[in-house]
Amino acid sequence: MMTAEAITVFLQVFIGLGSGLVVGSGFVAFLTVLGIIPRLIQLSKSYRSLPSYQFSVIAGALLGTYFTFTDVTIQLPLILVSFWGLLHGVFIGMLAAALTEVLNVFPILLKRLGIDKELLWLLMAIVIGKIVGSLFQWLIFVEII
Amino acid sequence: MSEDKVYIRLKKKITAKQNQYITLKDIAFITGNIEYLDELGAVPIYQITEADKNISVIDGFQLLEVMVQAYPLLSIELLGTNQVIVEIPKQAKKVSVPIIFLIWLLMCVGSAMAIMNFHYDVSMQEVQQGIYYLLTGERVNKPLWLQIPYSIGLGLGMILFFNHLFKKRFNEEPSPLEIEVFNYQQDLDQYVIQHENALNKHDDS
Repeated sequence: MMTAEAITVFLQVFIGLGSGLVVGSGFVAFLTVLGIIPRLIQLSKSYRSLPSYQFSVIAGALLGTYFTFTDVTIQLPLILVSFWGLLHGVFIGMLAAALTEVLNVFPILLKRLGIDKELLWLLMAIVIGKIVGSLFQWLIFVEII
Repeated sequence: MSEDKVYIRLKKKITAKQNQYITLKDIAFITGNIEYLDELGAVPIYQITEADKNISVIDGFQLLEVMVQAYPLLSIELLGTNQVIVEIPKQAKKVSVPIIFLIWLLMCVGSAMAIMNFHYDVSMQEVQQGIYYLLTGERVNKPLWLQIPYSIGLGLGMILFFNHLFKKRFNEEPSPLEIEVFNYQQDLDQYVIQHENALNKHDDS
């Protein structure tokens, strides 16, 4: 009986560790391919802080994992909750921008249509579209569906 | 007595008119130890014809052929790129405002739909409800305190990534998008040099 239990426990630990390993490395690889961290370093000229940024990503992933499985709650003021939401948005925005760039959408569009100077306006179209779409969804659309 | 020598540095890309006769000074910077540099610059190299359509490539070798015939005793050194891309614009193309507006609308609506589908794909509503509960201890259906800043941040993040705040910039470095456009143009040029080059067409037979 004891050995059977020990084996299932060992299996669970093994499977958990294995899946965590794969998901974790995949997550980091995804972030690396999109080049968000290099972009932020370039903007802030903080090349030396790269190790701390790496640590921050790992700590964040672990924190998220903890949040996923815990039931503990804390009482944060709404302003801090909003700040949390803002950070979330900036991150997803950078993710979306990086994805668009990887797909090479803009250069092709601009070349095909011969519009070089209107680049900024096209960018703004996407930015505004994202904000409006997101607000519409949270304020109205979630009620309808 | 030192020999007569000229150095020719080809330009990367020039624009020419329809049926223009392209001279040496149109496609290259010239210097040398001879007195007749101006005369040299006026040597016709290539006649643009209808067959060229809107783009043509002049190879450095073609140029040398012409030069060697015209000045057999002159020693010529070719520097820089080996090909010149000649663009022949039809007329200054005016992009119409309705088309730009249509594209604008397409991108705007498209990205709005894309972000909504993304939110459903990753179950963002549920995750945000969960996070709101963790952070405040209250269960709500619409955690708007989280979601509205999130939506604004979404736009901020994209602007941050592309280094554009309307006309203002955070710093002098080019944005990833500008680099992307530059790379794409360079790839196109590379293709044109390979495929529009008269010399390469002969070799293949």
